[in-house]
Amino acid sequence: MFKDLDPILHSQLRLAIVSLLISVKEAEFTFLKEKTNATAGNLSVQINKLKEAGYIDVVKQFKENYPQTICKITPVGVKAFEQYVKNLHPYLNLPSSIKK
Amino acid sequence: MQENEFSPEDSLQLIQSMIDKTKNSVADNSFYFLLWGWLVLAACIIQFVLKVIVQSPWHPLAWTLMIVGIIASALHGMNENKSRKVKTYIGELLDYLWLSIFLSFLLLGFIFARLGWQNCYSFYMVMYAIGSFVTGRALKFSPLVWGAIGSWFLAIVSTFTSYDINILLSGLAIILSYIIPGYLLKMKYRQMQVHV
Repeated sequence: MFKDLDPILHSQLRLAIVSLLISVKEAEFTFLKEKTNATAGNLSVQINKLKEAGYIDVVKQFKENYPQTICKITPVGVKAFEQYVKNLHPYLNLPSSIKK
Repeated sequence: MQENEFSPEDSLQLIQSMIDKTKNSVADNSFYFLLWGWLVLAACIIQFVLKVIVQSPWHPLAWTLMIVGIIASALHGMNENKSRKVKTYIGELLDYLWLSIFLSFLLLGFIFARLGWQNCYSFYMVMYAIGSFVTGRALKFSPLVWGAIGSWFLAIVSTFTSYDINILLSGLAIILSYIIPGYLLKMKYRQMQVHV
């Protein structure tokens, strides 16, 4: 049975952001921009959507007098990502009980 | 990156490619291996020359070279923190590992000053190996692991040899566990930068 994929994550840029953040402790906005090749405006909009959904934490601060945005995935985001990957399995003809 | 509709297959590929991109995010550690490797090797050679050839009682002063390492490491670490865009779990683990090794070396210095320096090199060689082995396993970089095994082996050998020979064995251990893997690690990071 096919399950609906989480619409928050089933978007190229948002999924890319969460996939990057799942493997690191925290990342700066510039790191995410560099790895996703997204424009600053688009990236900013998608980060806000993920933040509103509670999937990521965003900390804005100053470092050496320059503004710095740090993003970090939340436990809710980790759970949503795991569920998303699990829900992908039937679409890809993979058993849902695949172990990592 | 465009916001188009995309298939579950595309999703999986995207996840894989993004995770792959974070694999190279651990900072280049070769600077520290080479800095400390060369400093320790220099201190070993200077101490050996002063003690065995010149027969000076001031031979332990060769180890004051380590002050250069502490200052250079602190400055490099501060610069690295300024330019660091991402923090990884492995990077953080390695930071704590090396901090604990640094503190252990200071503590060993205190312990040997109290109890005598006769067997200090056997312990130092064990310590060199711990840092190289854990870093090598964490980064999946086998020259560090083999260097650590070499250093552990030399630590055993040092229990059969004299203090003077152990100064040289310690130099050999640092070549195996820091200097050679340090250059290979530097080469690996350079190749990764070219391919990114």
